Amino acid sequence: MSLRIGIREGFRTIIRSRSLFFLSLLVAAISFYLLSIFGLVTVNLYKMANVLDEKIEIIVFLEERADIQMLKNNIKKINGVQEIIYVSAETALKQLQEEVAETREIVRIFEDNPLPASLRIRLEPNFRNTKGLEEISQKILLLKGVKDTIYGGELVEQLKRITHIMLFFDIGLLLIITLSVIFVIFQTIKLTIFAHATEIEIMKLVGATDTFITIPFVFQGLIQGIFGGIIAYILLIITARIASSFFDIPYFPRLLFFLGSVLFGMIFGIIGSSIALRRFIK
Amino acid sequence: MITFDKVTKVYQKDWIALDSISFEVQKGEFIFITGPTGAGKSTIIKLIYKEEEPTKGTIKVLDNNLHFLKQNKIPEFRRKIGVIFQDFKLLPDRTVEENVAFALEVTDIPPRDLKKKVFDILTYVRLSHKKFNYPYQLSGGEQQEVAIARALVRDPYILLADEPTGNLDLKSSQEVLEILLDINYKGTTILMASHNQLLVRKAKKRIIHLQDGKMISDK
Repeated sequence: MSLRIGIREGFRTIIRSRSLFFLSLLVAAISFYLLSIFGLVTVNLYKMANVLDEKIEIIVFLEERADIQMLKNNIKKINGVQEIIYVSAETALKQLQEEVAETREIVRIFEDNPLPASLRIRLEPNFRNTKGLEEISQKILLLKGVKDTIYGGELVEQLKRITHIMLFFDIGLLLIITLSVIFVIFQTIKLTIFAHATEIEIMKLVGATDTFITIPFVFQGLIQGIFGGIIAYILLIITARIASSFFDIPYFPRLLFFLGSVLFGMIFGIIGSSIALRRFIK
Repeated sequence: MITFDKVTKVYQKDWIALDSISFEVQKGEFIFITGPTGAGKSTIIKLIYKEEEPTKGTIKVLDNNLHFLKQNKIPEFRRKIGVIFQDFKLLPDRTVEENVAFALEVTDIPPRDLKKKVFDILTYVRLSHKKFNYPYQLSGGEQQEVAIARALVRDPYILLADEPTGNLDLKSSQEVLEILLDINYKGTTILMASHNQLLVRKAKKRIIHLQDGKMISDK
């Protein structure tokens, strides 16, 4: 009964003070939109850092008659080695041809395959740095059947460092924006509730319970949150469309962002209005 | 029904609104609380419906010692008390009918009973023909009658009136008083704060006179 009346009152409140409702809806939508933009940037930076991290590997070129199985076994014993992938001379040639079309002509000049067989060594996360690469590479070079090793240590690490710094700043910004969004939305909800001060006063006077008083406002907050989230998501999609004509957005989990925006909006709406109201009631 | 035992209320900055006030109200009584502005009339009303807490002393209302009345029991307690004010406190964006129904909706009353009760009480205050009007379409006296209807619709044991005629002309004031006297005649205990001496004298009821938070007389 009280829930039914509460929801009806919630709708009434929205209709009666629609300009205030739309204003706070707009504030919520823009806030959530800003938040999702930064969320998207953060997720992509994080993914980029991970991809770079995974790309850190040592390529071990093998002598023609190297005992591959024995080498694999010996390398596996080295501390910090996570995975070993064997790339035969034929596979290496194929990959090269696939990756760089121009090499097809060049390779034809050679009668034999000029590429050696190799082992791609992937390292454990702790060793994915210049020091780890150097150490493990030195150890591998001592093994029989190894012609040479290469690793893009310096470059990858520099890139990694830059990405991490960017990620650090981005998360910092994301935190600041989240806090600002919480503050702005909370203040907007408070404004809405203050606009209904007389109503709340009379409700209390005629013996309405705190729950009864709370339901319409929480309902309003919920509606505001859901629509704010939906509008923010639509704006995000539009922004992503426009942005993707300038650069690639490698990672954009649409469903996750949609659910995230709406859920975030709902939670914000409910908690925000409950807290604001609780303070007001007391 | 109501007992004040050495009740003192001190607001911030050492402003003593009530100074050791004691009185008792029996069931069915009509009591005027009189005195100049700032004498403590409204404070007594607010203390009775637990809008304010006393600084010292004990207040008992309808067998409840208000000091021990828990926060979550206040709504239920307030449903037994009706309150009307000088400024009516009607919701401007609701019709007369909706304003009165509002007081019933906080309880779990079936919609059909609600409609009937609201209609009956509006008929009693002679406003059933204006049930679809908004407060701004009514005169001051009529607005106060809507407020009375809202306070009465739940059949309260006590009706508190804080300067109910303060904003009304003499004729409307007399009409409001007549309604209040009739409600009292039907059994509701009434406490009315007023500084309208003419009205108070005319009613010939018990008067508690306050000045600067002290009780000057009770007769």
